Amino acid sequence: MTGRVIVITSGKGGVGKTTTNANIGTALARAGNKVVMIDTDLGLRNLDLLLGLENRIVYTIVDVVEERCKLKQALVKDKKNPNLCLLAAAQTRDKSAVTEEQLKDICEKLKKDFDFILVDCPAGIEQGFQNAVAGATEAIVVTTPEMSAVRDADRIIGLLEAKEEIKSYKLLLNRVRPNLIKSNDMMSVEDVVEILSADLIGIIPEDTGIITSTNKGEPIVNDEKSLAGLAYRNVAQRIMGEEVPFLNLEEETSVLAKVKKFFSNLIGKEK
Amino acid sequence: MSENILKELCNRVLSLFKQTESKEENAKEVACNRLRVVLMQDRTNLTPELLQRMRRELVELLSKYVEMDKDALELNFDQEGDQMALMLSIPVIRAKDEAEIEEALKSDEEETEEDNVNDDDVDEESEESSEDENKEEDEASEESSDEEEIEENDENSNEE
Repeated sequence: MTGRVIVITSGKGGVGKTTTNANIGTALARAGNKVVMIDTDLGLRNLDLLLGLENRIVYTIVDVVEERCKLKQALVKDKKNPNLCLLAAAQTRDKSAVTEEQLKDICEKLKKDFDFILVDCPAGIEQGFQNAVAGATEAIVVTTPEMSAVRDADRIIGLLEAKEEIKSYKLLLNRVRPNLIKSNDMMSVEDVVEILSADLIGIIPEDTGIITSTNKGEPIVNDEKSLAGLAYRNVAQRIMGEEVPFLNLEEETSVLAKVKKFFSNLIGKEK
Repeated sequence: MSENILKELCNRVLSLFKQTESKEENAKEVACNRLRVVLMQDRTNLTPELLQRMRRELVELLSKYVEMDKDALELNFDQEGDQMALMLSIPVIRAKDEAEIEEALKSDEEETEEDNVNDDDVDEESEESSEDENKEEDEASEESSDEEEIEENDENSNEE
């Protein structure tokens, strides 16, 4: 088995990198893939919280690197899905505790046992970013339709393009608010895609459910009713190479439209 | 009667909305335009100091041929389709006559010999800068006052 190593990065903090990681990872595992997520945000780990695994962490990536445990011992299994594992970041150390070479090495070893290795990148473009990118061959750049996030994404794309190892990168537009786009108060998906001239892999609507799901330590992809959850599941399908149309978020305004869409989706699926 | 009043009121309210829509650029457009400009600057790797310098050097070069309003010169990045363009807008006060141009070019040629020494300095110190920048520096230093140039180059290379 040779797994794909995908780094999830953004430049700007707070745009939803870790949420994206937790949800795509969970969705990929739900679809039957063996998935491991690596949190490389040393000193500021959060992926464990989003997955509800914070109480199960015994060893971290630093313990692996400093040979206090074997790589397999440090992998924490998800509560629900045995296909899903987490390699947690150390909370008490800084970014220099793991080097680019060490991360590359870990990714190489994990490739043998997993279909997907998702690397959660810290914010910024410093060493933490360089480390996270080191072992990856693909990247997902998370951004929101806000100026600062788009600017930082552009910077990250520039850095990714300069890396030979990164064969492809895709854009994930998070926290999209159809109502604000409709009233011309927010940049549209098309605007952001045009400005960054990058391929899109997902459009995730702003969803208050993300807050509750984070609080519960339960990724929103497990919530069948959530629109954001559906959007993340679609992203996972696209990563697996399937062609899934993007959600048309603008229709989601009236109740009638929702009902119509529900039925048209049903009919569409039967085909 | 009341119907007409209602109609008029309706029209006024509608026209109010139309006005606000057409006159003010909406937030999305503002964001897109600001972003395009800022990203173009980000992508060029030109610092504000370098941009300022490019502007100054262009003024010096063009002043040989036309008399212009130096303070009103505008230098902006713009996007035309996929192509990035450098837009230069120069308010010309008057065209120089042949004698003036010749004089400017002559004093230029006299200076070139001295400046050749400076050119070497410029090239050595700005190895990191791209070819285009070098060309501009060469052109500009041909007619610029020598000592100032060297000092500025030193500053820039320190910053790099």
